[in-house]
Amino acid sequence: MSRLLHSVFLFVCLGQAAAAEPPPGIIEVPGTPAPSFELPDLDGAPFRLEERPGHWTFVHFWASWCGPCRREMPALQRLSAHLQDSTLELVLINTAEDEDTIWTFLADVAPELETLMDRTGEVTEAWQPRGLPATYLVDPDGRIQYQALGGRPWDEPAYRRFLSGLLQEPPPER
Amino acid sequence: MRRLSHLLLLSAFCAASLSVAAAPSEPRRFENARLEVRLMPRTPEQIAAFYIGRKFPEDMVAELRARCFITVGIRNKSDDIVWLDLAQWRFADPAGALERYDRDYWKRRWEAMGAPLPAQSTFRWTLLPEELDFRPGEAEGGNIILPRRPGPYVVEALFPTGAERTGEPIRVRFEPLTCAE
Repeated sequence: MSRLLHSVFLFVCLGQAAAAEPPPGIIEVPGTPAPSFELPDLDGAPFRLEERPGHWTFVHFWASWCGPCRREMPALQRLSAHLQDSTLELVLINTAEDEDTIWTFLADVAPELETLMDRTGEVTEAWQPRGLPATYLVDPDGRIQYQALGGRPWDEPAYRRFLSGLLQEPPPER
Repeated sequence: MRRLSHLLLLSAFCAASLSVAAAPSEPRRFENARLEVRLMPRTPEQIAAFYIGRKFPEDMVAELRARCFITVGIRNKSDDIVWLDLAQWRFADPAGALERYDRDYWKRRWEAMGAPLPAQSTFRWTLLPEELDFRPGEAEGGNIILPRRPGPYVVEALFPTGAERTGEPIRVRFEPLTCAE
């Protein structure tokens, strides 16, 4: 009986570990504080990251001229639809483009998505992305815990499971 | 038609992509079991079209189209870290070593010209990073910018490997290269 309980315990533990394993292209980072920012959306309403504590945030930097950004955007739109009842907040930040360019691009590629505008590009540079697109997963304490390498198929099951798993677990202790 | 032009422009000059669109110059490619590197010389017209499309001022575009642009795409195929460190790349033509125009050069140049901050930012994102630890499977890209000369050019690139850069380095040599006209 005790061996059976032990096996069940191992199965549960391994199952949880597998669920928490980041999918391809998602790397753990040392839990550094997310750089603060205040940026307007396309209607001019300000958004401040530090005013949204208590839940995970998906921070995504992009530009219309970046091919991988264009290819990734429809997957982000589908992910957004899946997140409607979730506490994970999707925050897109356009890098150094104007309203007309952003409107035209999003209307064409992902009309359901909204974005913040980093008009000068200074906020993007403060986050020091490896390239564009760049995605960071910020925990409820405002720390960057994961970073995506390039564009990712965010609406695929492995990625959605990973994101769902984040919401059910406390942030990793570093 | 405008959308078609936009798509062609994006295809022809996507700094972060490994995909290569039709262009006057053929891409140069190195590939082994650990690394893939592609070099694509860009014509002055491609450069001008891209930056004009991004609403860069005329004086910035004139500066850029006078140089030799090569778009570089790099993909780490290994299970280890591969380092891009442009300080370990060498460029030469028959007259001798060539100095690459690096980020510091352009920062000084744009500031002296009073270039708009959004254009400066976008420009920096189109450059190849000076240094980057490519994780397994990671692909990034960007431009390197050289003086525009008749050539031919030689590019020697050394890629350290391993988290501490102590692994067997990868040496890549591209020769001959010419600036696209």
